[in-house]
Amino acid sequence: MTAGHGQQNAAVVLLFIHVCFSGGYQLTELQVGLCHLCNGTVQNGTAVSQFCSASTGLIDGRCCLLRKENIRDADYVIGLDLSNCSLSRVEDLQDAFSATTIDLSLNPIVNLDDSLFEGFIQLANLILPANLVCPGGNASWDKVKVKGETHFCEGQKDICNQTGYLSLNCPENSLCVPYGPGFFQCSCVDAFRGYKCLREGEFPIIQVFGPLAGSTVLVSILLWVTQRRKAISV
Amino acid sequence: MSSPCCGFLAQYTHHHLVAFLLTFFSYVLLHASRKTFSNVKVSISAQWTPSVQNASSPAFSPGETWEKNNLFADSDEATLFLGVLDTIFLFSYAVGLYMSGVIGDRMNLRYVLSFGLCGSAIVEFVFGTLTEWLQFYNIYLYCGLWVLNGLLQSAVWPCVVAVMGNWFGKSGRGFVFGLWSACASVGNILGAFLASSVLKYGYEYAFLVTSVLQFAGGVVVFFGLLTSPKEVGLCLESETSLSPVERDADSHRPLMSDEEDEEEEGSEEVCDGGYYTIQQGDEEPRETPKAIGFCQAFCLPGVLPYSLAYACLKLVNYSFFFWLPFYLSRNFGWKEAQADRLSVWYDVGGIIGGTIQGLISDCMGKRAPVLAVSLLLAMGALVGYSHSPPDQVVNAALLATTGFFIGGPSNMISSAISADLGRQEALRGSQEALATVTGIVDGTGSIGAAAGQYLVSLIESKLGWMCVFYFFIVMVR
Repeated sequence: MTAGHGQQNAAVVLLFIHVCFSGGYQLTELQVGLCHLCNGTVQNGTAVSQFCSASTGLIDGRCCLLRKENIRDADYVIGLDLSNCSLSRVEDLQDAFSATTIDLSLNPIVNLDDSLFEGFIQLANLILPANLVCPGGNASWDKVKVKGETHFCEGQKDICNQTGYLSLNCPENSLCVPYGPGFFQCSCVDAFRGYKCLREGEFPIIQVFGPLAGSTVLVSILLWVTQRRKAISV
Repeated sequence: MSSPCCGFLAQYTHHHLVAFLLTFFSYVLLHASRKTFSNVKVSISAQWTPSVQNASSPAFSPGETWEKNNLFADSDEATLFLGVLDTIFLFSYAVGLYMSGVIGDRMNLRYVLSFGLCGSAIVEFVFGTLTEWLQFYNIYLYCGLWVLNGLLQSAVWPCVVAVMGNWFGKSGRGFVFGLWSACASVGNILGAFLASSVLKYGYEYAFLVTSVLQFAGGVVVFFGLLTSPKEVGLCLESETSLSPVERDADSHRPLMSDEEDEEEEGSEEVCDGGYYTIQQGDEEPRETPKAIGFCQAFCLPGVLPYSLAYACLKLVNYSFFFWLPFYLSRNFGWKEAQADRLSVWYDVGGIIGGTIQGLISDCMGKRAPVLAVSLLLAMGALVGYSHSPPDQVVNAALLATTGFFIGGPSNMISSAISADLGRQEALRGSQEALATVTGIVDGTGSIGAAAGQYLVSLIESKLGWMCVFYFFIVMVR
């Protein structure tokens, strides 16, 4: 068991090192990494497989993918099943940020990184080993239940609507936008953009500098003709 | 000199008008771009610092929008640095003024003027716009650019004064120069309006607009300016003698709003002295100056007190100029664009104050009482202003009043110095000496103002704005 663990972890670490140094990979390749993180494929009868067949997705290793029409677009991960993978640490699931269902049960994970699920705005079903808590606390989920060895977190709540939280004041010109269980972002409103959402609108360069250049040329010519042409060099 | 009447104006050709307008607008554009910097301080300070949060709350996400820029840890440090920039600018401006007199004498005024305008425009563009587009923020770059800017801008004032002196000689001085000396305030107003209109797109566009405008001005000046009537064969021959008393009488009108008079004297060789024909053919060779030494000039009675008094007034004046929009938006929470528009009232008050007080002291024949009264009232105005309620109309009115009482004496002192000091025995008949003395007084004023800028930001960040006002009041005394 321990040797298996050691190998597993080494494989995970090596994989991530590989991923880091080969940044030019397209998403599909990375997904390949995450989807084949451990052996096997999505089991029949699990939540992920049910979800997958319901959404007519494609099963690839441990992932459920939604194939896009355009063949060149990256495949869209909508489900991830890493149960029973003998994972003791989960490093980075960012490639599955679009997943709706993630299953990490039956793994000897000690604890989860706080920021692991940051950005997972579609996540509606999270299945964890019983010893872990739902990310963002129980208040971030509609329904939390523990059944035997698994912990079910269902239905991400919109943190921006909560009144219970210490008031999430986004600075001026920005709005609260949910960004994963227990996370939020302040994104600029409407026409505002730039650093701290300070800038509004698009500067009309042509309308300002066109007439300016034109009038400069005109005035210069006019003045040159009336003034300097008669100049005696002193 | 009595005010000109219609017949008098007839001697001016369209060349005079163009020269007047070109020099007027050169200085207007220069001041407008300086004002831009003061008016966008809030935005720049926001751009350089990460978002402010209570210690317990996590930082805002995404980091690119809220936390990325860390040039300064918080807005107090940024404010301090902005004060440092102002100081650096004024110092290099003062140094440049000393040098520009020399340069302007030796080289074609038109070249120097266009070079100063265009060069300064380019530096401002790099400072404000390029650094933002490239997202490159560096303290040393900012300081270096601003030093360069000060040096380039200092070339403009002596040239415009010299050109005006060439064209308008002595007889028309009172009225024409009075009108012309409003250029600094007009420049402030223009700069304030430009900045406030463009600010919402980003402060870099404010810099872009004013620097392009200034560059265009430099181009127009290059193609259109005749530096003196000699260039087209005209000459003003009506001049009276070049005695210092003459110069006093009309130089105590609000001539120069806040800068050095150095080149004024130097320009009078052309046409004023005639084409070496009419009056004093012996006055023009500047190569044999009866200059008194620097130390001698400094030790003259009246130079030292005047310098210090002028330094203090200039400090207050410049502090208002540089910091007003920042103060308005910080203290009252108004939007920066609104604060900019409101700060215009200070300049309006200054224009009116300078003109009216000049007129009053002309009529009275004496300056001292007017100055004393005005300064007393200025202290009252400052106190009143520091307690101003957050109501825009009241604030505007108080601002105008303060500008009236501070800008007025400032103008008067700067021009009166030449007059009073010129009456002294030791200087009679010595133009260069007068220039030196005026240079000392103005230079000291600028240095005092420069030092004050840093003090203002220091005091503000440590003790708050009320203390800044107390400091002003002490200075005005």
